[in-house]
Amino acid sequence: MPHHLFKCSECIPERKQHAVIKGLGETLADALPLGYLNTIPGSISERGCAYCGAKHVIGTPMKDVIHLSHGPVGCTYDTWQTKRYISDNDNFQIKYTFATDMKEKHIVFGAEKLLKQTMLDAFKAMPHIKRMTIYQTCASALIGDDISAIAQEVMDELPEVDVFVCNSPGFGGPSQSGGHHKINIAWINQKVGTFEPEIKSDYVINYVGEYNIQGDQPIMDDYFKRMGIQVLSTFTGNGSYDDLRGMHRAHLNVLECARSAEYICNELRKRYGIPRLDIDGFGFGPLGASLRKVALFFGIEDRAKAIIDEETARWKPELDWYAARLEGKKVCLWPGGSKLWHWAHVIHDEMKLNVVSVYTKFGHQGDMEKGISRCEQGALAIDDPNELEGLEAMDMLKPDIIFTGKRPGEVAKKIRVPYLNAHAYHNGPWKGWEGWVRFARDIYNAIYSPIHELAKLDISKDEIPADKGFVTRRMLSDVNLPDEIRNSATMRPYSGDYDCLPNYMGKTYPYMEKTPAPSTAA
Amino acid sequence: MDDLRTERIEQLLDYIMKKCLWQFHSRAWDRKDQNENILTKTKQLLCDEKVTLETPADRCYWVDAVLLAEAFRERYGWLGGLSRDDIADIMQGLHDRLDYLTITGSLNKELTDQHY
Repeated sequence: MPHHLFKCSECIPERKQHAVIKGLGETLADALPLGYLNTIPGSISERGCAYCGAKHVIGTPMKDVIHLSHGPVGCTYDTWQTKRYISDNDNFQIKYTFATDMKEKHIVFGAEKLLKQTMLDAFKAMPHIKRMTIYQTCASALIGDDISAIAQEVMDELPEVDVFVCNSPGFGGPSQSGGHHKINIAWINQKVGTFEPEIKSDYVINYVGEYNIQGDQPIMDDYFKRMGIQVLSTFTGNGSYDDLRGMHRAHLNVLECARSAEYICNELRKRYGIPRLDIDGFGFGPLGASLRKVALFFGIEDRAKAIIDEETARWKPELDWYAARLEGKKVCLWPGGSKLWHWAHVIHDEMKLNVVSVYTKFGHQGDMEKGISRCEQGALAIDDPNELEGLEAMDMLKPDIIFTGKRPGEVAKKIRVPYLNAHAYHNGPWKGWEGWVRFARDIYNAIYSPIHELAKLDISKDEIPADKGFVTRRMLSDVNLPDEIRNSATMRPYSGDYDCLPNYMGKTYPYMEKTPAPSTAA
Repeated sequence: MDDLRTERIEQLLDYIMKKCLWQFHSRAWDRKDQNENILTKTKQLLCDEKVTLETPADRCYWVDAVLLAEAFRERYGWLGGLSRDDIADIMQGLHDRLDYLTITGSLNKELTDQHY
């Protein structure tokens, strides 16, 4: 696996260690991109800061909490319109945003009084919310405000409230991943074990590393409930503050993300003896295997198999419809973090797409090991890419579509590559059987959008055809398909609702008796 | 025979690297435990030996082993024609190779980081 030096990075030769092309017959022991290092000076990064990782990625999906940033108001930027961590309590945690709004005078004279007053004001303004998380920023960390002491003062004055302090200033790591680490360990140290949850099932799990992007969490929750499993807490999508204080009472930690999510599971394993099981949440095959694994652990495999059979029968004809039309299309899978390995193999196996490149902006070398293992030969793997490298890679690889974030996505559009938002989705949820079909539909709509046919033309040099009439996506996608696929009586495009989430709200689930777990197998 | 053994080990390895996640835990000690326990239990299942499930951790290793043994049987028909000793030999070779790629020969500089 040769390292790859971008032409635009020839003046920064250290960058060569950060890109690798997956070669024939070569292994991870031949080459692996460096990762989770400080961005090389001279190279512009697309990373977020450690504060962003702690607050915006991990903390904010917790729903019944006042999320207060102790710092300049600008640090609260990512909120309602930029994050899609929705919740079932009217999206309280992203609808309102709170900051102490530190100014220069606070840097000089301290901001502890300001913090205390802001906390009291926030609780007064939101009397139905009794939980708060305070996030340190670069500004408040540099002046050394004792946030924990102030939090204790407020808890003494308002005994009904509970406050969590997250010390993860922006400079606390080379990327947002440093913040993921800090908030997870802080939560374990400060809050786990301080609340006794109500146990309602014989099978109880913590679902760790699920952030409820566009409703992923209720989809997965539905499967667990249909198996009679109580999801004690979801860390942290649509998660409740007190449920997450009670994580120590689960029988099993089901882990879906990396790598900071691994830390919280490992600590729960070490401190409370709760075992950890890693699962995949995306794609028919991996998701089915995941449900089987959780069910096998509890000795209720028949319940998982019933769900897998029902969901596969309902949605497979629709996934097949899209796979037939997406076969061979080239994808740059540039999601930022864990989705590089969540999706790398399964979009190839189940949607027939070819992954020509993977990248991670804040992932670790472990993420790259997983991603490179799962993508196809010849793929270009890049750690912490910058805009010029991204442009050069797309020029070299000529992808049909890119899955990435807003900033690189808008750059891709400028060079006429359609993009899907890999962080926040386009029309999610994308988890679950139905969600996976919705993802395929979004990919199809992006690749075959007639507007992209026009966008691909460069008006500075291309002839603009005047003889083209009205076209639809179907006319573009089906032109070379054989008749038996084009006219298939079984395959069909997505037939679910525009908003599928209401179908999951208000569902009731019967209590399911415990099945004796086998003590031995085979 | 050596070539055939190597080819078979590589087939099993390719499946694990492409489809599984358990071999890539974030610490070297954790990877060692995962590889050892899951592959041992997989070998026991493939050889129709008794698998002991004494602890919750054992059950976690076992569920990954169940799915792995099932996938191996489905995909690699040649396993059905091997004796127990031959299966054990192939699985030992797989274990050694996986340990090399994910631990001893791994280029992941964070595997031995004492701090998360």
